[in-house]
Parts: sequence; C-alpha cells; structure tokens
Amino acid sequence: MPASDLLQSPAQPAGGRPAAFGQFPTALRFAVRNQTRNRFATLLLIMFVPVWYLLIMAGHRPLTFRLFATGQILAVDGGHLTLISAGLNAVTMIVGFAVFDAIRKSMTFDRRLVFAGYRQTTLIATKVLAIAVVATAVAGYTAAVLLAYWRPGPAGWSAIFAGFGVIALTYGSFGLLLGVLVKNDLEGFFLIIMIGLTDTFLQNPLGNPLANKPILQWFPSFAPMQFAVGGSLGHTALWRHLGLGLVWAAAFTIAGLAGFCLRTRRHT
Amino acid sequence: MTAGPHSVLQARDVHKAYGRRRVLRGADLTVEAGQLVAVVGENGAGKSTLLKALASTLRVDAGEVRLRGTLGYCPQEPVVNDTLTVDQHLRYFAAAHRIPDLRRADELVDLLGYRRFRRQAAGTLSGGTRQKLNLTLSLLHDPDVLLLDEPYQGFDWETYLRFWELVADLRSRRRAIVIITHLVFEQDRYDVLADIVDGRLTRREPTGKDHHAGI
Repeated sequence: MPASDLLQSPAQPAGGRPAAFGQFPTALRFAVRNQTRNRFATLLLIMFVPVWYLLIMAGHRPLTFRLFATGQILAVDGGHLTLISAGLNAVTMIVGFAVFDAIRKSMTFDRRLVFAGYRQTTLIATKVLAIAVVATAVAGYTAAVLLAYWRPGPAGWSAIFAGFGVIALTYGSFGLLLGVLVKNDLEGFFLIIMIGLTDTFLQNPLGNPLANKPILQWFPSFAPMQFAVGGSLGHTALWRHLGLGLVWAAAFTIAGLAGFCLRTRRHT
Repeated sequence: MTAGPHSVLQARDVHKAYGRRRVLRGADLTVEAGQLVAVVGENGAGKSTLLKALASTLRVDAGEVRLRGTLGYCPQEPVVNDTLTVDQHLRYFAAAHRIPDLRRADELVDLLGYRRFRRQAAGTLSGGTRQKLNLTLSLLHDPDVLLLDEPYQGFDWETYLRFWELVADLRSRRRAIVIITHLVFEQDRYDVLADIVDGRLTRREPTGKDHHAGI
C-alpha cells in the first residue's frame, strides 16, 4: 500500500470539531497581504507612474493608428497615444514585478502549506483573486494619474482603465508563471522588463518600423491597446479585443497554476 | 529488516541519485510507535535526502516508504514567510491542518519560550527563534510520526533542554520521532542510532539500552 493510503485524511478536523480557521479566508487574507507587502513596487507605483508619463510625453505630433477590428485608420494626437502605451508599459512592469516577487518568495512556504494539508485549489484560487485585486488597483491608479495629462472623457477614460486592467491581469499572470518557473530574481525581472518594454513599445506607431502591421496581433498588449485607443480616440468599444486580452491572461494563469501544482505536489 | 506490528514508518530499499551521484543506495529503516531514532552521518552523506524521501517531499528513484498515521516534518532550514508574524503562521498552519483551536500551538510556544515574539514578523526573528517557529509548525497537529532535520540548530542551552522535555512528552504519548543529526552528543537519549554510510543505514551497537527497532 502506498504511503498516501495510510495517511489520515487531512479533510477531517481533529476530534470532529470544526476548524478554527477556514482555509479559504485565511489564505485569501495572507495572499493579498503577500502581494501588497512589496514596498519597492508600491514606491514604483506612486512615484514612477507620473514621472514616466512626464518623460514619455513626445509632444503632440499627429500619428496614424490602425484599429484592426474595423480596419479604420485613426489620425490621432501622438501625445495621447503615447500616454496610453506608457501607461500600459508602467502597468506591465509594476504588476509583473509585484506578483513575480511575491510568488517566487513564497513557493517553498506554499509547498509546506500543501504538505500540511492545504488544498492546492484553495491556495491557487486565493492567489488568482489576490492578483486580480492588485491588477485592478494598479490599473485604476495608473489610469487616474493619466488624467493629470489628458482628459479623454468618461467613456474614453473607462476604455483606458479597462485596457490597463486587462494588461495588468495579463502581466500579473505572467509574473505568476515566472514566479513558479524562475529561481532567481534577476532572470525574472529581466524577462518582465524586456518582454513588457518590447510588447508595449511595438504597439505605439511612434518611431516604430512595425507600426500598424498585422504581426502586432501576436503580442499580449495588442488587444488592450486596441481597446483603449478605440474607446478613447476612435469612439468605439472593441469588446472582442478586450476578450482577446483576457485570453492571454487566462493562458498565463493556467500555465502558472499548472506549474504551481507540479512544484507543490507530494511524491508518494 | 523487520517490521513489527507497531511500526509506524517503514522505508525499504530506497534509492536516490542526483545525476551520477548516488546518494541513497538501498536505505532501509523501520520505526515503531514511541521510538526515538537518530540518523547520523557526515555532511553530504544523504541524511536530509533520506528525511525528504521519508516525508514524501522528494521523488525517490526506487524503493518504498510506508507511513501509518499523521506526519510532521521539520526541515533543516526554517521554511517560514518573512512577512507574516508568528501568530499569523500559527493561524495559517492551523487552517492547513483544520485544527479546532490553537491550544497546542500556545503550549508549544510557551514550552519553547518565545511567547513575546508572537506579534513579530518572522523576517525579524533571530535564527534560533525562527527555528523554534519552524519546529512548532511541524508539531501543531500533534503528528504520530515526527521527522526532524537538525532540529536544535541555533538553540541556546535552555531551549535545548526544553526541546528534550518536549521529546520526552511526545514519546510518553507513543509518538515516533526520527532526528537527523551530524553529531550525537548524548547517545543514551535514543532508542536507535543509525549511521548513514555509502547511502545505506547501519545500526550502531546499543549502549546497554533495550530497544526494538529494526533497520
């Protein structure tokens, strides 16, 4: 008989009495705390976003931007477009770093929790929820700071916020995947910076040889950029693109959680 | 190797290699309820690998490990979350084990003498106090079998003596304990001493004490 058959079922609390602390609320509280404890990421968020917008503003030269869903070519203010891509870029780095750092540092501890009887599904669900909380907060702040530089109107701002929210979820899940797979800080941070920068830079037609080319569709920030620009500068809501952005987030989440299950499994 | 009717942990012909380096080459161990077993060996002899195999945290290449009852495992390096306080750790692991209250946790914290650090984050604790927390987390659910990897590293003399009080209490309640150590100061404390040499366990001759374990 394998060892696992001989183990007492952890699902039964000692003496049949109810457990003092529920697994889900306990894990959720500590997962959110773990995601938000990173002071460096918080400092980055507060200081970096307005400075980044200020540095990246490239005047107001006219640019053309292609909305792939409608085929429409928009003639837009390059400064506004750059603000959107700068916001997307800031979100990729902040959320990516915060989640990667928190997940990587707690992997061994999570493994111990699973061995002690924590359900993997509970830990996974609370991690995803914590990422969603962080992603929404960062996207909201980044979109709010943008108002200091440009007032796109309520509908336009909502589209930008939604685009930032989706890219935050995508890079949060990417941080989860890297946190599970990558063992060193430097490798993870380097991957997030390089991929995030390349991804968001290519979506902006300013000084970009791939501007408005179909190849852009294969990058994670394509759909959030399309949705944000469509809503704020093209007065159209490209819901399908918002959904496409969520597919990237879901794909990274599934891959990260599969890795988490493998890394925390018991060998019996 | 003999497995008696009271055996709670049994490892048979366990093999484990890291690349070409064969660390365990057919390790056998049987532990009975209430027994205190020391696995002794030089640095790099494979002690921690054996304990991880016994705890099922490591995939072995061949062999079998059988466990009867619940298991507590205290790793050599404290596995704690630096941002959580001692109390938060206790609640987290109470949730993991579905424990109805924190009475056992309170007893352990008092016995090991670190009550005043309960609201302090683990990252700010001294090495010895982190090890106390590490040990407490493995004992919270009062397991039938306890695997301890160098458990008293960093303990001061007073805590070392309290640790042995704790061990005596566990044994009186028929809990089995396996301790990994590279140095054995007081051989008489143990029922069984097993040296790990060339990836196998060899029972050290008893020092006049009666015991029942088979290796």
